[in-house]
Amino acid sequence: MILIPILALVIGILIPYFLKIGPLQGITGQYLAVACLAGLDTVCGGIRTGLEEKFNSAVFYSGFVFNICIAFGLAWFGDRIGINLFLIAALVLGQRIFSNLSIIRRQILTKWRSDRERKAAQLQAQTQNQPQANP
Amino acid sequence: MTNPFHIRGNQSWEWPVASLCLVLGVMVSLAWIGKANRESRFSTLDADMAGRISRGEIDEVELRRLSSEVSKLREENTKLQNAVAGNSQQSRVLNEALQQVKTWSGLTAIEGPGITVTLTDSQNMDLLENDRIIHDNDLMRIVNELWASGAEAIEINGHRLVARSTIRCVGPVIQVDARVVSVPVHIRAIGDIEDLYGALNFPGGVAESFRELDPTMFKIDRVKLHHFKAFSGSTELRTAKIPPEANKKP
Repeated sequence: MILIPILALVIGILIPYFLKIGPLQGITGQYLAVACLAGLDTVCGGIRTGLEEKFNSAVFYSGFVFNICIAFGLAWFGDRIGINLFLIAALVLGQRIFSNLSIIRRQILTKWRSDRERKAAQLQAQTQNQPQANP
Repeated sequence: MTNPFHIRGNQSWEWPVASLCLVLGVMVSLAWIGKANRESRFSTLDADMAGRISRGEIDEVELRRLSSEVSKLREENTKLQNAVAGNSQQSRVLNEALQQVKTWSGLTAIEGPGITVTLTDSQNMDLLENDRIIHDNDLMRIVNELWASGAEAIEINGHRLVARSTIRCVGPVIQVDARVVSVPVHIRAIGDIEDLYGALNFPGGVAESFRELDPTMFKIDRVKLHHFKAFSGSTELRTAKIPPEANKKP
């Protein structure tokens, strides 16, 4: 189930190769690199809310578009006024990616552990019930 | 009436995430720095990052191979010119003039007696860092002193100096004609041995300035016979031209 997004990411990376759209030139490529971070952050956030069972597609899609626009715009604006604002975007987004990933990891771990405990409890219940069923 | 902004939550998330992953993948591969866009992305990277990325650009091994090929071809050229000149008196005179010019400008191999100066960084930690290391201006001072005292050919770490040679500092390294020179730097010169030796050793001269700091940094040897290869850099002129009146026959 987590493999579907990963597969989609790989396909997405390969599409420009097959369509022969070269990597972007110059400063636009640099802005797009920051926008990529924003996209990655949103995707991580989406997976996190999905695992927390709070996923909302409207929030997710709008977050993706908005974050990308903000990161792109901030980087552009920073260059216009001579401040490396894209560093700010990279810092904040990087931090958010980290925290999102750690929450995802914790979610998966707790889910895995509770599954195991449930199975163990079931097994125990079965072994306790069996002697009573056959006296 | 339902509020459209009410966050319902708990929808299926795999397909939305996958669809945006697809878009993200396209973006990542468009923003990737590859061969095609490395140059134009340069200016937007930090100075040290640009350096790290550019390091792969110059193939040092290939450069060495090509420059040794150039000097081999130049030697061959000299041989061919000599062979062609053997035919008549006029062409022999012409060839002599040509070879003289080529020798003077460093385009032929050359040999003769001279000296070797070896410069190394000092290991003495009591010195300031700036004094411990060999700088481009140390090389320039020595080369200048050697030319001034009648050196007829100079070579730095195997690279022949010519009239248009440059010695400069690029970040942490010294470059001689855009070739990286590292310590120990061997400066070889052909000329009158004692003249060259004396020119570097006179009181207050180049050698003394090193000996005051650390005598191990500067070493000078007399050499009976140096053998230099021809200059292996480009001799192409892009802007300068010979004026037409210089080519007119009298």
